[in-house]
Amino acid sequence: MLNSQAARRALLAVAGILAVIVVAAAAANSNNAAASGTLVVDKAFDLKTADPQRQFEVSGGIIAHVLYDTLLEFRGSDVTNPLPSLATGYKASNGAKTYTFTLRRDVRFSDGTPLTAKDVVFSFRRLINLKGNPSFLLANVTSISARGNYTVVLKSKVSNPALPAIVANGSLGIVNSKVVKANGGTDAVGADKTDKAETFLNRTSAGSGPYVLKSFNTTSRVELTTNPRYKGRRVPKFSNVVMRNIQAPAQLLSIQRGTNEISLDLSPDQAGPLFGNKNLNVQAVAGPNIWFLFANANPKISEITANKRFQNAIRYQLDYNGTVRLAGKGSRRAAGVVPSQFLGALPDSAAIKQDVTRAKAELAASGLKNPEVELEFPSDFTSSGLSFGVMAQKVQADLAKIGIKANLVGKPIATSLANYRAGTEQLGLWLWGPDYPDPNDYLVFLPGQLVGLRAGWAAGADPKLEALGRKAGSTQDPKVRGKLFQQIQVQLNQRGPFFPLFQPGQVVAASKNLTGVAFNATYQIDLATIGSK
Amino acid sequence: MARRFVALLFLGLGITLIAFLLTNLVPGDPAAANLGQRAIEDPAAVASFRERYGLDKSLLEQYGVYVWRLAHGDLGESQQARLPVTTELGRFIPATAELALLSILIAVVVGVGLGILAAIRHNRLTDHVLRVVSLTGVSMPTFWLALVALYVFFFRLNWLPGTGRLDPQFSEPEQRTGFFTIDAMLQGEWATAADAARHLVLPSLVLALYNIGLLTRYTRTAVLDVVNNDYIRAARAKGIPERRVVLRHVLRAALPSVLTVIGLAFANVMTGAVLVENIFAWPGIGQYAYRSATTLDLPAIMGVSLFVAVVYIIVNFVVDVLYGVIDPRIRVA
Repeated sequence: MLNSQAARRALLAVAGILAVIVVAAAAANSNNAAASGTLVVDKAFDLKTADPQRQFEVSGGIIAHVLYDTLLEFRGSDVTNPLPSLATGYKASNGAKTYTFTLRRDVRFSDGTPLTAKDVVFSFRRLINLKGNPSFLLANVTSISARGNYTVVLKSKVSNPALPAIVANGSLGIVNSKVVKANGGTDAVGADKTDKAETFLNRTSAGSGPYVLKSFNTTSRVELTTNPRYKGRRVPKFSNVVMRNIQAPAQLLSIQRGTNEISLDLSPDQAGPLFGNKNLNVQAVAGPNIWFLFANANPKISEITANKRFQNAIRYQLDYNGTVRLAGKGSRRAAGVVPSQFLGALPDSAAIKQDVTRAKAELAASGLKNPEVELEFPSDFTSSGLSFGVMAQKVQADLAKIGIKANLVGKPIATSLANYRAGTEQLGLWLWGPDYPDPNDYLVFLPGQLVGLRAGWAAGADPKLEALGRKAGSTQDPKVRGKLFQQIQVQLNQRGPFFPLFQPGQVVAASKNLTGVAFNATYQIDLATIGSK
Repeated sequence: MARRFVALLFLGLGITLIAFLLTNLVPGDPAAANLGQRAIEDPAAVASFRERYGLDKSLLEQYGVYVWRLAHGDLGESQQARLPVTTELGRFIPATAELALLSILIAVVVGVGLGILAAIRHNRLTDHVLRVVSLTGVSMPTFWLALVALYVFFFRLNWLPGTGRLDPQFSEPEQRTGFFTIDAMLQGEWATAADAARHLVLPSLVLALYNIGLLTRYTRTAVLDVVNNDYIRAARAKGIPERRVVLRHVLRAALPSVLTVIGLAFANVMTGAVLVENIFAWPGIGQYAYRSATTLDLPAIMGVSLFVAVVYIIVNFVVDVLYGVIDPRIRVA
């Protein structure tokens, strides 16, 4: 038998090593953001690029909003009224086919170069010709030109009343054309093959916004520092911003420990314990995403789901209030497909209400006996902390109460998207996030349009509704346009294959000392307007 | 050695072929996974994407191009990040390596030490306790442990930092090795190096726990196999100090089998720490692999597959060489 003195020594050595490691680590641990004037933002990244004309993700939008100014902007929580930013104003003419923007003359890029109309023209043309994710935003614009140094004219082939909302998008942030060209950028046709500026823009920003890029890592963190040449309304209060890639469970712990910290991805459930925390300000407001169910209107996909009475049975059977409760604090009922914050949103009073008696009557009138369908959804996707699988189960349970058997078919999003886009799902549970805060973005739900086709709703399926859509989409007067879109949604609710469910709550948790933290449906939060008491 | 090297080359090529075939068999369109809902409906955007990544060519052509580029050290461009896969691997691998090395060091020192102790105290209370501890270590789900560790040591006790490789007020050091501790020291940024070291502790301890359990068990068994041999009794009978008997005779004889486990444990940590990296927001190869798989980023998936294969090949090779060093009777063919 071996010596126990050696054993004691071994045990002591092991314990000693472990203790040294832990004590050394703990010795200087502290949460130090406050000491350095650094704002810390915790976000689960979907980041791909810092190039504004390529980025179209939520995380990228937050960063682009403070690196690059846009012609117009939304302020605070408002997303109905685009206000002057780089442009002092604009004029729409020719039935909203032509927009003329007048630029400020005092704006400088971060290297001191004056921002002029040619930079706007370059940025917009580059956006189109890169053929990337956000390129569609200017798909209807046929001409972009500079008139002098401080006037930009955009011409569209069709009436484009959404353009003011579109130009406020971070992907239309204005870049320093001279610098970008010098680093391989181009706005010419074929830019998708020839533009090489992305690598440069992922290291160094070339904008006029309140911050400049210090470092960029799509999986760990993005660091920003103040732009000393910034001239604008949004003078930053924090000299540095660090946006960290952290998943929601770790964000929940971190926000309770940190100072000068903001967390953006907590679900309403996760944030539950934080409401009432005296060290935090926690807001739960309705986000702009619309979760919806659809029944495929194409009888070739399913004669059951294409049956109008069957669709009505679903429409009146769904427990809408229950889904809102399940979605958690801050969520609200989606009265129509246009989010509540946008022009043209339906009031809550116009929402379809559950009517089980009517649902049963519709199902009986459909002639279908014990209908059985497949309910497809992305099984690995969560949005605002909500799992599609859980919602699908709720829908399944609701429908089962009147004898509709919905078999759950969950697939990873990379594969389920294919069926959705191909229009082959019988019942589908999905969401639509706004590309820009304007009701025109929701014309996609009409027959023959992008989402309509995914629900098997071909062009010509509802000529009256389609005509109303064309009229609403080209009306310039916002009040009239808003009313027209409300009419569209009322008709969609009555006879369309879509069943808008809810807008999930968006939780923003921030350290108590922070001011100016306001959720905005387009860019989430404006890092430049956040200060400290 | 030359024959072995050629065999390794063919093995690597075979792995690229399998990875290529499997990723192309997965239902799902990379263009759909990487382009937005609007862009996917734009034929020009889709065509541009396919052309950029060679997806408009036949599978045979795509594989041929891949192998040709691979022969020139080019692993292609990530569809997600639009950066060379080699550049991305060059960033993510060191992050995991820094974690893995510390984790394995802790696991080896503690696991082997406890294994020897358990063998020394064979069938006594210490042995029984350590066997339970080691079983607990290998049974506990690592992701759960990571969450609990974060909750207890960061949130509750504030003994250790939370997620990430550095606190917010420290900037990442200029990359020379990719090991933040070393890079920061090389640049004289001592505070950054200390902070990086602090951030290493919790995730590496979490990763080490499973391997501590594993190594405790294997070392105990290996030592027990050796300790009753005649030459050990003879060494003791000759009056050799006990410490020397353990370290020079017992451990050396027990080491080959333990070495195999150490090698596999290291390879596992290098290639499979996805959940721990995710929870600790550690930007390592595990996170990269997860992101690549869920976005059908084919070049990145191929790159990671190749990396995993190379790690296991190298680890096995190193272990084989070390066998020969520890026991001259074993020769590497």
